[in-house]
Amino acid sequence: MAQRTGAKRFLAPPAKSASAGVALALALAALCLAGCGGGSSDGETTAAGAGAADSAGAAGQAPGATAQAQGAKGGSGESPGEAGHSGGASGSDPSQGAGGGAGQKQGPRIAAPKGPREQAPTSDQIAQATVADMSLESPAIVAAAGRPGTLAAPYTCDGKDSWPAFKWGGIPAGTAELIFYAMNVQPVEEQLFVDWAVAGIDPDSKGIEAGELPKGAIVGTNGFGNRGYSLCPSGAGEIYMFAIYALPQPLSPPKGFDARELRHRILDVSGNVGLLPAVYARG
Amino acid sequence: MRTKATAIGAALAALAVLCAMFATSASAAPAWKFEGKSLEGTETVLGGAIESSMTIPGLTTKCENFLYKLTVENSAGTGKGSVTEVPLYNCTTNSKACIVEKIGAEKLPWASKLTTVSTTPYIIIEGVKVAILYEGEECVLGETLVTVTGSAGGSIDNSKETATFNSSTLSASGTELKALGQKIEWNGLFPTEAFQWHREQALSVS
Repeated sequence: MAQRTGAKRFLAPPAKSASAGVALALALAALCLAGCGGGSSDGETTAAGAGAADSAGAAGQAPGATAQAQGAKGGSGESPGEAGHSGGASGSDPSQGAGGGAGQKQGPRIAAPKGPREQAPTSDQIAQATVADMSLESPAIVAAAGRPGTLAAPYTCDGKDSWPAFKWGGIPAGTAELIFYAMNVQPVEEQLFVDWAVAGIDPDSKGIEAGELPKGAIVGTNGFGNRGYSLCPSGAGEIYMFAIYALPQPLSPPKGFDARELRHRILDVSGNVGLLPAVYARG
Repeated sequence: MRTKATAIGAALAALAVLCAMFATSASAAPAWKFEGKSLEGTETVLGGAIESSMTIPGLTTKCENFLYKLTVENSAGTGKGSVTEVPLYNCTTNSKACIVEKIGAEKLPWASKLTTVSTTPYIIIEGVKVAILYEGEECVLGETLVTVTGSAGGSIDNSKETATFNSSTLSASGTELKALGQKIEWNGLFPTEAFQWHREQALSVS
């Protein structure tokens, strides 16, 4: 038999719910554990399964994994919940017994999650979020082979420190204003660092020309305290995120606006965004 | 007449060769096997990633527990499958400023199939969709919903009963995962162990 890679790393996950799948899974686990006459001695527990533990169905507070653990430890401990009972009941059916009476057989083990299962965003949360579904591209930043695009020195303070051309697409109908940002991906002194912010961009526009501000542009104050563009890493390099925000309502900030403050307002209006990461490495 | 017979013979021979080639091709398609025997019916493979991370440039997202449930079967001699559940737990980023507020697999089940790339068996997961909502006032992706979509190919190591996903396996299998309009990195090492009818039986793909 092949080596059971990672098997000892796994414990059973807690189930939040019960379903027919859970019942079947727990039945198998319970039967197997009964056959084993006990669980593992190292504190790990045979799993009923990742999926089984999380199948949709009636909510159950008692995790399936707990039920298994109890099986493994002779039924001591907390009372199993619905899922556990289901498993136990089904477990008496020998027709389910793939692993029943299988001596020391144990199935895959799953690391016991310590917290609640993560959940996908709800429709309300999506409605309130800024959705990254627009496109943003630059001929100067081309990703390749799964790697992010690199930024050349002329677009940083090591060169002319002037922006390349950008083009965007997928702007939602009804967009009232476009605002362009260049930001450091990693915060500086625990604060978002904005390198460039340009508001007041016509929502019908398709991009920005290299080194030219679009008509009606309102330039904000960046992290260096300047009204303008500057990509100037303090170290060997930096990862930047360029962003074009499409806002359903105009913010029309004044000239020299505080770029960090405006971004909070941008996120509050729950628009859409196109994002383009780029890496700059000195030398 | 003799020429006509020769032509017919040649055509039959060619047909036989084609049939043989087709048969060879079909039998060479990788299938799920337990203890060396092809799986009949279905089986459930499940586990948790030994390691896994997803990187949008500059921001790596990890889940302490990345679990999965995969139902597998052989169809016409070729392994297929369906990822039915992907429970994630304790997901974080490598940036103090960025919190994973919500993350979840969507559009499940994701279809999967087995294939061979340069003699190495691969599993291809198709229709992958993961929605991530980041939070953090100072996070560059704060309050932003990012969706990862695409397909992912992972190489299967029969001796270790694992599937490995990384940029090399995705590239080798002609698959890609995208977010923010470009390819992203996803690294994962997953055990492949049967849970249901073939518990503790060596799972291989060939």
